[in-house]
Amino acid sequence: MNMWKLWLAAALITAISSSSARPYFNDQRAPENLADLLSIQQHLQENLEQARAATVCLEMEGGGSGSGVIISEEGLVLTAAHVTGGVDRDVTVIMEDGTRFKGVSLGLESSTDAAMLQIVDERTFPFVEIDEEDSFRLGDWVFSLGHSGGFDKKRGVNVRIGRLTRQADSTVQSGCMLIGGDSGGPLFDINGRLIGIHSRVGASKEESLHVPLREFQRNWDAMLDSKFLADGDFAKRGAAGTGFLGVVVEKSSDQSLRISEVYPESAAEKAELKEDDVITALSVRHLDIDLKSEDLTEVSGVYDVLEQLAPGDAIRLEWTREGEPHQKKIILGERP
Amino acid sequence: MKTPFTLIIIASFCFASANSLPSEQRKNNKLVQAALDPVRLALQESSAVFYNNSDRRPFIYGTVVGADGLILTKASELAEVEEFSVRVNEENFSEAQIIATDEIWDLALVKVKATALLAVTWAPSSDIAHGTWVVSNGATTRRYRRPRVGVISANKREIPGGHTAVLGVGLKNAEGGVRITSVTKDSGAEKAEVKKGDVIIEIDGVSMKGIDELKAVLSKRGVGDVLNLKIKREEEIFELKVELMARHKLYGGVQSRNDSMSGEFSPRRTGFPMVLQHETTLSRRSIGGPLLDFEGRCIGMNIAMVNRVENYAIPVEQLLEEIPNLQKSLDSSK
Repeated sequence: MNMWKLWLAAALITAISSSSARPYFNDQRAPENLADLLSIQQHLQENLEQARAATVCLEMEGGGSGSGVIISEEGLVLTAAHVTGGVDRDVTVIMEDGTRFKGVSLGLESSTDAAMLQIVDERTFPFVEIDEEDSFRLGDWVFSLGHSGGFDKKRGVNVRIGRLTRQADSTVQSGCMLIGGDSGGPLFDINGRLIGIHSRVGASKEESLHVPLREFQRNWDAMLDSKFLADGDFAKRGAAGTGFLGVVVEKSSDQSLRISEVYPESAAEKAELKEDDVITALSVRHLDIDLKSEDLTEVSGVYDVLEQLAPGDAIRLEWTREGEPHQKKIILGERP
Repeated sequence: MKTPFTLIIIASFCFASANSLPSEQRKNNKLVQAALDPVRLALQESSAVFYNNSDRRPFIYGTVVGADGLILTKASELAEVEEFSVRVNEENFSEAQIIATDEIWDLALVKVKATALLAVTWAPSSDIAHGTWVVSNGATTRRYRRPRVGVISANKREIPGGHTAVLGVGLKNAEGGVRITSVTKDSGAEKAEVKKGDVIIEIDGVSMKGIDELKAVLSKRGVGDVLNLKIKREEEIFELKVELMARHKLYGGVQSRNDSMSGEFSPRRTGFPMVLQHETTLSRRSIGGPLLDFEGRCIGMNIAMVNRVENYAIPVEQLLEEIPNLQKSLDSSK
């Protein structure tokens, strides 16, 4: 290899590594002139396209919208616990161009406002890198994206810029302004790496609070595993036993578990369960319960599960009606 | 449509001060403002401040578009104030006259007695990428205009809002005309004693076959115009005169959760044929001034603070189209 090629290779490596290197303006007290500000703008714009492609609007099954960001090719999304509100809930995931996908909420941590969800449709998704080393510092220039006020195709994703203004263990604050609908959206360092998720706003306009990525990393596996973690304010789980499906189950002469009554206006009625349907499987993701027909031999088996549940909890039920198999995910209501 | 939005909880948090960025280093504080000084000069010379004579407070900004004292501003805010004076740079103009207004863009052209103002330098285009810095007039003292910076934050687009002049009724197509399904409180329709269930057969002699015809008539009329409605109520047919009102005045009070998070916002913030959007922290009173690029050139005029994260500006291309139309009434009054 001649010297010229070697030099070129070295230059290329420098160019690649400098794209994620810490930019000089993060270590300035403040930009000193327009050139410094333009350098910030250049970094932002170089990374904006990918960041926008990976930022999604989330419309929850039960109403309400928030934002989120895709962090894997397979469609794993990070968002806020107060957006998903619970585990195993159905979500419509909307890309900036308006393409809609189905998603389901995974686990959450209700004291820090961290949550995950998975896009169910199989496809390759645009995604962003996360700042795994937790390398941001006070004063760093950052940018924020989100579907403020809900999805608006003509407007697109809203961009905002600011600096990191405060830090605490489970919270980082920036000067990027937020509003309803931004919740769960991404905060990026100026190189386009994800450093936080929008959670709430402070008293003044330029005080926005984000969940730092380390709070996700701390509970990563449990959230992937659809666990409802902690007992904080951002997502409330009702007391065990207050959830209500609305069926009476009996054991019939052929040993099957048969629905003998469906309460009017109950979750069961809304899910169109009928008298004489035979329950063949029952699972609850966030409790790791997965009962198949061989496990469902006694009526108490079903009731024991239901008694652990709260309103808003999701169950997956399988049943047969005149021999035909059915299945549905059902969100429990409140016990009357 | 769906979507009650997920609310961001307003929270106050305690942080150790060592973990806090000093206030002067934040995005719109002292040090960044100093860096913006070259752009500030354009603001100082080519933005105007409108003072309400009754409380001597600034209530809206303006954009200097002619050396001979022509200033562009937001019409609906100007209409709220009985007497005003205008300040450009350090000079005060107590005699200011509204030359013309345009309902579609909510623009007003004002003339002050001056001969040597410095008009804004127009940027060649408003097609600017997301994330580009823009500068607005943020706060002002009698002598000093202070820049605020933000970035272009969303797509350039039309903001729908329907016609600005409204009857103040809900409508449904009906046999032989358009049926009134509701009458808004304090509207021109209510004052004229239009009733729910009435069928509009004609407006100013034009027969109404459906809502489309009615919209076509309204689109040609402005706020304050009086329409002659031929109404059928049960078996009776009679005429009523209804004054058209500004949509934002009648319906502007309807607030969403996001509005209440935003504090004050522009009462008229919908119904613009084209806008740029930016995220600069502004207030309702800092609308009307020029939106500048880093070369101090005017890429638009701030026309609405929509909420705490969104502001609209009319792009330079549309301003340059509209200004000659507004000036026509100046020429004809000579």
